[in-house]
Amino acid sequence: MPTLLLEIGCEELPASACREAETQLPELCRTLLGVAPAHVLVGPRRLAVLVEGLPERSPDEWVKGPPEALRDRAADGFARRHGVSVESLEVRAGFLGIEVPGRDVRELLPTQLDAVVRGLAFGKPMRWDDSGLRFPRPIRWLLAKLDAETLLGETSYGHRFTHQQVEVASASAYLEVLRAAGVEPDAAERRRLIVAGLDAIGGWSDPAGVLEEVIHLAESPLVLEASFDERYLQLPEPVAVAAMQAHQRYFPLGGNRFAFVANGGNAEVVRSGNEAVLENRLEDAAFTFERDVAQGIDRLAERLGSITFFAGAGSFADKTERLRQLVERLGGGEASLEAARLAKADQASELVREFPDLEGQIGAEYARLAGYPEAVCSAVEEQFLPDSASGPLPQTDPGKVLAAADRIDTLTVAFELGHRPTGSRDPFGLRRAAIGLCRLADEGDLRIERSDLAPEVRDFVEERYGSLLDVPVEAVRAARRSAVSDLGAVAALARFLAELPDERLGPVHEVYTRAGRISAKTDSASEVDPALLHEPAELALAEALQRLDLDQVAERRFDEALASAAELAPVVEKFFADVLVMAEDSSIRANRLRLLRDVHEAVGKLGDLAQIPR
Amino acid sequence: MALNYQDMISALQSFWAERGCVLMQPYHTEVGAGTLNPATTLRCLGPKPWRTAYVEPSIRPGDGRYGENAFRFQQFWQYQVVLKPAPEDVLDVYFSSLEHIGIDLLRHDPRLVEDNWEAPTLGAWGLGWEVWLDGMEVTQFTYFQQMGGLDLDLIPAEITYGLDRLGLFVQGKRSVLELEWAPGVTWGDVFRENERQWSAYNFEEAPVDVLARRFSEHEAECRHLVERRLPLPAYDQVLKCSHGFNQLDARGAVSVTERAAYIARVRNLARAVCQLQLELEGDADAAA
Repeated sequence: MPTLLLEIGCEELPASACREAETQLPELCRTLLGVAPAHVLVGPRRLAVLVEGLPERSPDEWVKGPPEALRDRAADGFARRHGVSVESLEVRAGFLGIEVPGRDVRELLPTQLDAVVRGLAFGKPMRWDDSGLRFPRPIRWLLAKLDAETLLGETSYGHRFTHQQVEVASASAYLEVLRAAGVEPDAAERRRLIVAGLDAIGGWSDPAGVLEEVIHLAESPLVLEASFDERYLQLPEPVAVAAMQAHQRYFPLGGNRFAFVANGGNAEVVRSGNEAVLENRLEDAAFTFERDVAQGIDRLAERLGSITFFAGAGSFADKTERLRQLVERLGGGEASLEAARLAKADQASELVREFPDLEGQIGAEYARLAGYPEAVCSAVEEQFLPDSASGPLPQTDPGKVLAAADRIDTLTVAFELGHRPTGSRDPFGLRRAAIGLCRLADEGDLRIERSDLAPEVRDFVEERYGSLLDVPVEAVRAARRSAVSDLGAVAALARFLAELPDERLGPVHEVYTRAGRISAKTDSASEVDPALLHEPAELALAEALQRLDLDQVAERRFDEALASAAELAPVVEKFFADVLVMAEDSSIRANRLRLLRDVHEAVGKLGDLAQIPR
Repeated sequence: MALNYQDMISALQSFWAERGCVLMQPYHTEVGAGTLNPATTLRCLGPKPWRTAYVEPSIRPGDGRYGENAFRFQQFWQYQVVLKPAPEDVLDVYFSSLEHIGIDLLRHDPRLVEDNWEAPTLGAWGLGWEVWLDGMEVTQFTYFQQMGGLDLDLIPAEITYGLDRLGLFVQGKRSVLELEWAPGVTWGDVFRENERQWSAYNFEEAPVDVLARRFSEHEAECRHLVERRLPLPAYDQVLKCSHGFNQLDARGAVSVTERAAYIARVRNLARAVCQLQLELEGDADAAA
């Protein structure tokens, strides 16, 4: 069976487009050609598939027509529509129809291949001529070969600068022909070459993850090692790394060395050119850095009054003042307070305007240069941690306090202004802020009073535990309605409840739900009247309830609290066995309902246990 | 021998003139980029083919550094080429223009790196690349898709050479100020004092309240001119608004929210002007 090559020749495609095509081509081939490709080859100048074992002919096809019973009325029309005579219609299983013979794949492919090209869907397509085609960059040639036969186009093209047109003798020779023309069409092989090149140099890093893009930035990747003048090592390291990675897609090798991937040229010339470019960037950054340092972090901090935090939320000076207050409320010490004062100072620096992603890191560096204690500097540095559901937490206590204060402020102010995230729209990053707060409280063991959060903010934050914790969401819902007073305890209680064996949870759950069900409509203000209690079982329950102290919950002593609550179980059971709650006398009935309501409320300090299905 | 700055410009001029470009001169009103010159913005609208090339001083008040930084200037130089519609071999032609100014494409490492261009104040966007030579960005290459919020009939290719960066590359220098402009005369000799004085104006002296008032006046005048169906003078008012906004921004007088509002005001003007221009072209064609 023949091998098919389809090559879509493009002007240099973005890496994201290469990945989109790589994902879609197998399925498109399966659907439109009936066979999945043996090779999917994507890169900046071409998207290609090699399909092996393509059938020579498409299968014969039975086209079903009207039922035989309707021959007189419908046969004529059906035959005409398919361009055959009425006489040639056959009958199968009571239906008229025709057997359409399969066609040679050479006849079908031009249309099918066109459908493959048009079937690719990209996030950012463009127009370039009046063909009506939309693609991420202009398509400049197509080549399709079935073995040695050319179905579409004429030739392929080699490396843009070292080779021109190349003849592809047959589909199966494609890889070989391109490799001889300076092109590695296989993305996996390019990745292997690049990683091997980097490994051969050793000590490379890629904190910003540029490798995935670099794979699609060269058809003939060559890894080269280079260095920059040591005088730029005075720059904060993150600045040098950002200049290397964000702008230039280089791989830092530590110190003043770096590696990069070229696509051709004289290695010596290309190396020295890249070194000059990076040094220009570092020189520019050094110029900015020195101007900032000449000002010093304290003077930068004084300029925060003229920079808006966001509309309606005052300036960064206002934010700084709010941070100081929050840090105090969170119990932060001297270092935290000092860090809060300096936290946003780098917003006034020129370097952060150049490298916005380095906010915090640059401020910390400036604080160090100004001689502030390391506890202060590292808190400034750590204020944006954690930045995701899995990223690292601040390592220092002042860092944790400042990070929490920053998030509480952003959330509070944003919610006050009505910027609640909707759907995928979350321009202020509030979900990330809430997740960070949850993690600081739980994993970071930072005590954050729930009562310090505005109710709307508290709900929004605590909801995050539902997806963040590895427990059923019902356990989180239950814990959120408990009497725990700090945010981290919500997580701890959710975990405690989720892990309880049924024999421990069962009796307490029973007390809670049974008492709750029956007393659900009882108002919350009225109190139990001891004078109306007569039956021994109800007196026993009232007394047991008096003794019950579930304040242990607030101190995270969940185990003891649960044990205390469990002691109620037999008393409640006896109560329901001996006492008729729905007594004739309405005042006695109301009093008994109030007693059960109190039981429900008391046990409810352990959480809204009814949320947990049993 | 490497070309000096003005010879490099001359070489580009003759290269593109030979390829059918109308050689324009820099526009008389401040623009942040050659794209804003009406020879690009307005000529990209509508179904008429157009080819042009010109040098444009790019005026960006916030980028001045008093002539003390080797790479940042409030006035720098672009060489702008527009080919409408984009010919199929446009990239090959572009790369041969680099060879024409003495760059050996086999010794160096030319690259096309994704860069999608957007001008919010113009309601314009396109897809393309920054062109690298050994890692240095020397050109912005864009296939325009929209201008003034309107889909374009003929897709133009815009080639914007950063002359200063290209000069660094061609001359092998490490500072723009040290580029040889003409024999015995450097870039710095010609423009350094200009940078110092304009930076002082842009950052220290430019009167914020006057600029804000002028912005509104230009805006009103633009609207008036659109009503009078005079898109070309109306477009100059758009440019004055755009530059005025850049000046206010350089003075630190624009907060984050105000920024969005200013940009929207300029974009609305640009949209109205582009629509009118397109209408008038359509009327003229109908009459002919």
